[in-house]
Amino acid sequence: MKMRVTRKEPQLAVAGAGVGDTAATAPVRRRRRMTLSVQRTLEGYFFVSPWVLGFIVFLAWPLFQSFFLSFHELQATSLSDLKFRGIDNYKEAFFIDARFLPRLRDTLQQNLLDVPVIMIFSLFSAILANQKIKGVMGFRAVFFLPLVIGSAQVIQQLFSQGVGGAVLSRGVNVQELAFQYLGPDAASGVEQLLNRLLFVLWKTGVQMLIFLAGLNSVSPVLYEAARVDGATDWDRFWKVTLPLLSPVILVNLVYTIVDSFTDTFNQVLQYIQQTAFAGGFRLGYAASLGWIYFAIVFIILATVVRVTNRYVFYAGERNS
Amino acid sequence: MAVLARPRSVPRVPVLFGRRIRIQWPSAQYFLLVPLAVFAVLPIVYVISTAFKPLEELLIFPPPFFVRRPTMDNFQDLLLATNALAVPFSRYLFNSVFVTLTTVLLQVLICSMCAYPLSKARGLPGANIVFAMIIAALMFAPQVTRIPQYLVVQKLGMIDTYWALIVPALAYSYGLFMMKQFMDNSVDMALIEAARIDGANEWTIFWRVVMPNVAPAWNTLLIFGFIQQWNDSFSPLVFTRSEAMKTVSVAMISLTNGPATVARLGAQSAAAFLMTAPTIIVFLLRQAKVIQTMAHSGIKA
Repeated sequence: MKMRVTRKEPQLAVAGAGVGDTAATAPVRRRRRMTLSVQRTLEGYFFVSPWVLGFIVFLAWPLFQSFFLSFHELQATSLSDLKFRGIDNYKEAFFIDARFLPRLRDTLQQNLLDVPVIMIFSLFSAILANQKIKGVMGFRAVFFLPLVIGSAQVIQQLFSQGVGGAVLSRGVNVQELAFQYLGPDAASGVEQLLNRLLFVLWKTGVQMLIFLAGLNSVSPVLYEAARVDGATDWDRFWKVTLPLLSPVILVNLVYTIVDSFTDTFNQVLQYIQQTAFAGGFRLGYAASLGWIYFAIVFIILATVVRVTNRYVFYAGERNS
Repeated sequence: MAVLARPRSVPRVPVLFGRRIRIQWPSAQYFLLVPLAVFAVLPIVYVISTAFKPLEELLIFPPPFFVRRPTMDNFQDLLLATNALAVPFSRYLFNSVFVTLTTVLLQVLICSMCAYPLSKARGLPGANIVFAMIIAALMFAPQVTRIPQYLVVQKLGMIDTYWALIVPALAYSYGLFMMKQFMDNSVDMALIEAARIDGANEWTIFWRVVMPNVAPAWNTLLIFGFIQQWNDSFSPLVFTRSEAMKTVSVAMISLTNGPATVARLGAQSAAAFLMTAPTIIVFLLRQAKVIQTMAHSGIKA
């Protein structure tokens, strides 16, 4: 801020000199400049404060409280009745509760498989949607539609009716064709592949958007240069696109991991919610489950970021 | 030579000899794009076609994809089912619309307001702390904080009011993160300086200079926020008690889980259709603005 203000001074002085007599305005201006920087700071705080206030009251404070709660026993039915339990909640989660660990393992397994698939698929579809061909805008819009209707209610309803991707892919009759021409084994393979594809497609909207933006920020000059040097499309993808895209890949990776681990259909989170609200009303225990889960997600995220960061290529001018 | 003959149809293709394969690129791209697009549209087609299925078709397992004898019965059933609810359906609808719109507009405003100084006044004391808070907040699953959040809402006396549905959702971390990234990238400092020299105050700069320049970002936020709030059934379930404060998404759940679920299958599928319709409309209204300009402003790491 200070730097910026001092840099601006000459401009202001010039403007002032042009308008009035310098002798009279100079001291006034100096005093104003002093208040200006204070005023700017206050204005800055004015802009920041609503979000920060909301953040502290509804996120930061609850977070601290949940950590506190995770060492206590608290029933939602009698909120004043707080009992200290030490690490018993955590012990219970690992050694007594037979429902928590299996769910945790399933969730971890599934998400660790899904994340790379989602990443590769979204990069692939972003590159496709980035081709300069006719009607590509329409395709981009269509690719976002699953995100729009991939909303909890509808998917829940589909699943409750026993509809996975299977029914949806029946809409295009692919399995039957595969069955007729390739035999039953291939057909079930195709079906599984389609189910997976549909599931992934539902989850890639945001990632695709971010990749698309990233692809567009790669300077065409570099492609031009690579082309002149005789690089093929394949070379250009691996040696130009991918390195320049790597910061975006990291952002996307973080987003994908957070997004898939905080998904509402996640078994662990559903179990936590059940413990807290639906069946158990055991707020303290639910809080400790939440913290165990959070710690695991955090470790995964930190590892991924650390490992990936080594391969991320920051071009000099992009550092902000 | 064929390449040289029609360079317009194959833009970005270098005009070089010995690259015959590349002439076929456009068709190959459509070959991949079209199936993907079909898959992307499938769920919507399914939801729409299911909404018009008669009951006997809804009971077939596994359910057929397309409707064979379309009927409007489901919508009538939905009307009947909603008549049986404790509160008229219009009340749920009003709650949903009011809460969603208020939340989303305030969310966009608050996130953008906070992003502006974080992005453009780097020297602001404490700005780094705020940014660190965003990064941390991005990593937390909301479920971890929900229980104490409930306690806070209760302490503030907001339970069973619209406040409880609106206020806790306003400080949206992703929203702030995204707005800041976009402002870093697509608002030139020179533009702000120019406005300042012209005597504009910070609010005018924010509203007249910065916000129009990040229109794709806040439109995206608008769409995301709308989808999220419209479908959110957690806050109304937990933060409100009386039936008059519940939203459509909660009404949907009570329709789905209520007694006589099989008889209401038709009503459910009609409701699923009606539930998605607003989000699709909002998306279609705003998406052109987002997608077209998105590519040019870009999010940077």
